[in-house]
Amino acid sequence: MTLDQRPQAGPGTAPAPGRLVRAAGPLLGAAGALAAVAVVGAVDPNQPGHYPTCPFLAVTGWFCPGCGSLRALHALAHGDLREALARNPLMVVTVPALVLWWGAWLVRSVRARPRRWVAPAWTIWALLVVVVAYGVARNLPGAEFLAP
Amino acid sequence: MTQYPGQPDDPQRSEGGDPYASPSSETYGSLPPAGSSTPPPYGSPGQFGGQQQPYPQQPYGQAPGYSGGYGQPAGPPPPNYLVWAILSTIFCCLPLGVVSIVFAAQVNSKWASGDVAGAQDSSTKAKQFALWSALAWVIVIVLYVLLIVVIGVGRFSTS
Repeated sequence: MTLDQRPQAGPGTAPAPGRLVRAAGPLLGAAGALAAVAVVGAVDPNQPGHYPTCPFLAVTGWFCPGCGSLRALHALAHGDLREALARNPLMVVTVPALVLWWGAWLVRSVRARPRRWVAPAWTIWALLVVVVAYGVARNLPGAEFLAP
Repeated sequence: MTQYPGQPDDPQRSEGGDPYASPSSETYGSLPPAGSSTPPPYGSPGQFGGQQQPYPQQPYGQAPGYSGGYGQPAGPPPPNYLVWAILSTIFCCLPLGVVSIVFAAQVNSKWASGDVAGAQDSSTKAKQFALWSALAWVIVIVLYVLLIVVIGVGRFSTS
C-alpha cells in the first residue's frame, strides 16, 4: 500500500517541482559522482601519464590510505571486483557505505527534515583508527595484500 | 544529629564553648563541624563545585545539559562533514583528510555530551578543512598540468 500513500513519488511518474528542487543537491552529487566514475572508467589509470601521481607518494615514497583508488575505481567501473579489491580494499568497502549515506541524504532532502540522528562518536573514532592503521599497514612487509 | 553547629537556634553548639562559633559563622550559617582544619569561608561550595571541576574548559556547553542531564541537546546537530573527510582521505589520496575525521568525531562526541558550542566549533573546523582539502586538490592538479606542459615529468600513475 505504499504506492497509495505516496502517489506522486512513483518511480515512473514525474515528481512535484518542489520535491525535485529539494532533491537537487543529492541529484547533483550523484551526477558528479557518476561523471567521475565514467571518466575514470574511460581513461585507464593503469596507463602512465593519464593521472598525476599521488603527491604524498611522490614526496614521501609511502602509500597512503587512498593509493590505488583510481585503479580500483576503474576496475569497479568495468565490473572487476577482484581487481578493485587488490588495488584498494578499504576504498571498495567504503563505496556501499557512501551509497547508503547518499540514500539517507536524498530522503532527508525530499522530506525537508533536518538531520536528527547522530552517529555514536566512537564509531568515527574507530573509523579513524582503521584508516590510520590501514595507511600504516600498507607500507609494512607481510601486508602486501593491502598495498596498491 | 544536626550538622550545622553555627546556627543560632542550636543551643548546644552555641553555648558549648565552640571556638568556631563566631558571629561571622552564625551569619553564613553553614560552617562544617568542629574539627575541620580548613572550613570554607562562604556557604558550602563543596557540594556544587565538584561537578564543575571535570569540565573547566566547557563553561557554555553545560547550560543546555542542565535541564536534561548529559543527553543530546534538542534541535538538529551541526554537520560533521564526515563524507568529505572520507572522500578526501580514501578517494582523493589526501592523508591530511585524517584531520577531518578527527574533527568529525569531535562534533559527534561533543554534541552527545551536551557541548553545543564545542560541537559548532568543531563543525566549523571540519568545514574549513574540507575546503582546504579541495583547494589543495585543485592546486595539485594545476601544478601537475603545469609540470606536464612545461617540463614533461610524471610519466607514471600510482594514484
